Amino acid sequence: MNNKISRRDFLKLSGIAGGGLVLAIYLEGCLPGTDTPTVVPVTPQGSPTPIPSFDWVADIYIKIDQDGVLTFTAFRSEMGQGIRTALAMLVAEELDVAWSAVRIVQADANSKYGDQQTGGSVSMATYHDIMRQAGAMARQMLLEVAAKVWGVDSAGCESEAGFVIHPDGTQKLSYGELAESASKLERPNRHPLKAPEKFKIVGTALGHWDAPQIVTGKAVYGFDVRLPGMLYAAIARCPVFDGTYASYDDAVTKTITGVKQVVALDDRIAVLADNSWAAIRGRNALKVTWDEGRNATIDSQQMMIDATNRLKKATKENILEAYYEIPYEAHATMEPMNCTANVRDGVCEVWAPTQSPQAVQLAVAGACNIPLAQVTVHVPLIGGGFGRRLQADYAEEAALLSQAVAGPVQVVWTRDDDIQHDFYHPMAVQYAFASLDKPAIPAIRVGNGTSVPTGAWRSVDQFTRAYSEQSFIDELAVALGRDPLDLRLELYENDKRALGVIQLVAEKSNWGSPLPAEQGRGMGYFATFGVTHVADVAEVTVDANSNVRVNRIVCAVDCGTVVNPDNVIAQMQGGIVFGLTAALKAEATIKNGRVQQSNFHDYPILRMDEMPVVEVYIVSSDRKSSGIGEMGVPPVAPAVANAVYAATGKRIRHIPIKPEDLKV
Amino acid sequence: MSVFDLMVNGQMYTVDADESMPLLWVLRDLLGLTGTKFSCGMGLCGSCTVLIDDEPVRSCVTPVSQVTGKSILTIEGLSEDASHPVQKAWLEERVTQCGYCQPGQIMNAMALIKKKPNPSDTDIDVAMGDVFCRCGTYQRVRSAIHRAAQEV
Repeated sequence: MNNKISRRDFLKLSGIAGGGLVLAIYLEGCLPGTDTPTVVPVTPQGSPTPIPSFDWVADIYIKIDQDGVLTFTAFRSEMGQGIRTALAMLVAEELDVAWSAVRIVQADANSKYGDQQTGGSVSMATYHDIMRQAGAMARQMLLEVAAKVWGVDSAGCESEAGFVIHPDGTQKLSYGELAESASKLERPNRHPLKAPEKFKIVGTALGHWDAPQIVTGKAVYGFDVRLPGMLYAAIARCPVFDGTYASYDDAVTKTITGVKQVVALDDRIAVLADNSWAAIRGRNALKVTWDEGRNATIDSQQMMIDATNRLKKATKENILEAYYEIPYEAHATMEPMNCTANVRDGVCEVWAPTQSPQAVQLAVAGACNIPLAQVTVHVPLIGGGFGRRLQADYAEEAALLSQAVAGPVQVVWTRDDDIQHDFYHPMAVQYAFASLDKPAIPAIRVGNGTSVPTGAWRSVDQFTRAYSEQSFIDELAVALGRDPLDLRLELYENDKRALGVIQLVAEKSNWGSPLPAEQGRGMGYFATFGVTHVADVAEVTVDANSNVRVNRIVCAVDCGTVVNPDNVIAQMQGGIVFGLTAALKAEATIKNGRVQQSNFHDYPILRMDEMPVVEVYIVSSDRKSSGIGEMGVPPVAPAVANAVYAATGKRIRHIPIKPEDLKV
Repeated sequence: MSVFDLMVNGQMYTVDADESMPLLWVLRDLLGLTGTKFSCGMGLCGSCTVLIDDEPVRSCVTPVSQVTGKSILTIEGLSEDASHPVQKAWLEERVTQCGYCQPGQIMNAMALIKKKPNPSDTDIDVAMGDVFCRCGTYQRVRSAIHRAAQEV
């Protein structure tokens, strides 16, 4: 380590021996009330501007080895949203490294990376400018070393694809040759940022960096972690939330070949075996008497009735009002929950497919009574997160079992475990109302259920809110005899970005053009978390059997400055599919305290043969970059419900919309 | 427990397994071939699909005893370096998001293209209808199949 650089420095450098690492560069984290960064970057136009203010940033770890390969340590979890790729693109762009020379490794849980929790679609908004600065600083240092070698002014040097170019335009030195010397430099005073029109990587359509590993089957997800001597564990959990076992009989379980041990935890029973299949069979063979506890009678249908009654108001004159219902929703990630842990001699190593490595670290340390510093959390690729993996329950189980058997254990959740022991998107009934004299965006009151574990689910309460608000605006338009587009243009007249996506989607969808019989068109718009604006127009057919088919969805998105436009499109496509599953297909219902669904036959997700044509249009913007991971979801369900109304004249105020809702 | 000889990706393996053990777990837990994924365990979602004598099979519900003497192809058997035309099409269409279901998507696409070298959208709907993706990559899976069909 280079000890001459003080902690107070914004930019910290270190030349670390071994492993070919010759330059590591990172930005010192700034806690509120401590040092304020003093570095003044230069805008593309060349005038100095103060650094954007922030309370807390991660240290950024990048390295360049002797072969000129840039290794970026990703400190946000990758679950398909493309963040590893997008952050690395920004560094590589400013540093001027060819994309083919970029490697990405995933950070373990460590406070030196700042808050690693990957949720709320905030990664890009938080780190866009910082990644650029990190790359630009590293580039400047390489330029200065080369300038010194040549005896020229660094201001006259250029860079291109891993080389510093001499002012004469012919001589060049590779980053690999320069990196070691650069690592010994003090931080540069100036590190000009590239003018966006010179971007070669940012703004281009890149597939995810991980894709080649994925299509060859080499990508390592949590489920793919393999440790020598590892046991696989399947767990019997009480089907009623917060229940526990009263007694159990494992006689049959123990006769199953491959079963090694049965371990009872506080409220659940684990079967450990030398393969997953034996563990699952062993678990299924347990005879358990459950102590179901106080939640054994909860019923989601009754909860909806109760919540509606609590919200009911006396009807008023010239007030339009409506109640909208959404059910509990499961995450149903394609990779079920799992985690691998190895607890030995008071030290714990965990491989957790998690959106919150630090929450896992904390939970495991607490559960096993091991100091935090002795808990290492590795983060493999994640086969879908959607908020479910912000929780740490699966990791606690793995760590406790590993501790119990003093060896490595992988906890394997089956699909029914996953659907029935989720942290669900909360059911809600929403009462929306607005004056017919002075039409406005409706006021909304929300009632929820009780006693069911709930958590973040792709777009969280924005999904709930958008569904009622955007359905109601459509109802308002009908009540006033107005076109829903015209009414929206009026309601959002003071919001330029809202108007931008609404007008764009109207134009691209040919809003108002005639459709064949049985078809309808509906619109939904939402500014998710107030930052990314998305408008959808759905076109549906409702056939003679009342089946709803979504033929086409046109989507317009304004997420500020775009890093990887193809990934913006991909996330809108994906958010739309997620929203369609909620709008038309899946719901989690609870009866006698139990989730009634268990697998994809009764928790059906959208299929290839139901996939509409999706067109995505991005509003060109140089505003601050905002998120995209969740933002595609909220406008979909209301757009579909409004389209169903346009096609049939039937207003359905709950999701999922089923054929029986339309048969009367 | 019985001993089974399995031909996987052109290589012979001998495994000692319960005869009811699904091929999925034999591949993943006994042979260390983790490219084939577990998701539903009931043959509903297609993530675990492998080809057996060119037919797409849900390995999570296929006992190991039924696949001896047959040719088993898993995602690892396509190519190490993503040079197989179907893998290339997947990269060119930038299909993957979380990627967990994609080995299953690719193996089902392989079977489809073998049977119908130039599949229509309807052919794709039929062949891929029971292969689920929660990230919602369907539109790109469709494009990649069309692209691969032209290159195979």
